[in-house]
Amino acid sequence: MPTAQPQLDRTLIALADPTRRAILHRLSRGEARVTDVARPFAMSLAAVSKHVRVLERARLVRRRRAGREHLLSLDPKPLDEAAAWLDTQRATWTAHLDALDAMLAAEDRAAAAVAAKTTNTKKRRGPR
Amino acid sequence: MTTGPNDLRVTRRFTASPERVFDAWLDPERARRWLFTTPGGEMVRAETDPRVGGSFVFVDRRDGDSGREDIEHVGEYLEIDRPRRLVFTFSVPRYSPHVSRITVDIVPLGDGCELTLTHADVLPEWASRTKDGWTTLLGQLAHALGEVPAAASART
Repeated sequence: MPTAQPQLDRTLIALADPTRRAILHRLSRGEARVTDVARPFAMSLAAVSKHVRVLERARLVRRRRAGREHLLSLDPKPLDEAAAWLDTQRATWTAHLDALDAMLAAEDRAAAAVAAKTTNTKKRRGPR
Repeated sequence: MTTGPNDLRVTRRFTASPERVFDAWLDPERARRWLFTTPGGEMVRAETDPRVGGSFVFVDRRDGDSGREDIEHVGEYLEIDRPRRLVFTFSVPRYSPHVSRITVDIVPLGDGCELTLTHADVLPEWASRTKDGWTTLLGQLAHALGEVPAAASART
């Protein structure tokens, strides 16, 4: 069964914090300057920048420079990967249960074949 | 049993009796034909010690990055209540040290039964420890992506 990849770990760690989710939410409305992103939070710019760096490492946020400004934008791709991983787990269990169903059906067929054979034998041995 | 935000649940109906379906998990000769198998894989080892505290190991030989590789699936039985409920821990050490928990609930349905599998703690522990939980997290990221249902966006 496939399990968490390092990229997925980084994505989930990045998402496991309300400030970082709020930053992503802000960026979902479009590109923004670091100072604008930091404004609603009751914490220092340095503290917000630290959260932004975690998001950048997780590749959820991209940064570009425009003159003296640092502009941040959202990259949703890793979020899709996290959701896809859960889907993979579900598909794996569904496949296992399909295989269980197939095995039980094969057992039924084998039992039916034995029963048919026994019946035929009895018929042949029946009274003349 | 309640489903946590970090749980995965799959339900399936079978025409076979609860007892047959239950035993198919614990009898190694039958379990090896379906449990933890993969297309193209070969089950090279299947051992179970079906008692509470007993362990199991299933080794599936499959194609990996560097040729065929043996993938070990291990766990310990926590609850065995034939034919109603089976609970065991589960991990694949080759991929991750993370240990999750599987619960199999079987209820009679007509001539057959319905099986509900709950894979708890699918995601690593720190994900389930977050205050909001995984469901909210997914909701938030859907929101972040702009995929918000009309009713939900009306509230904001």
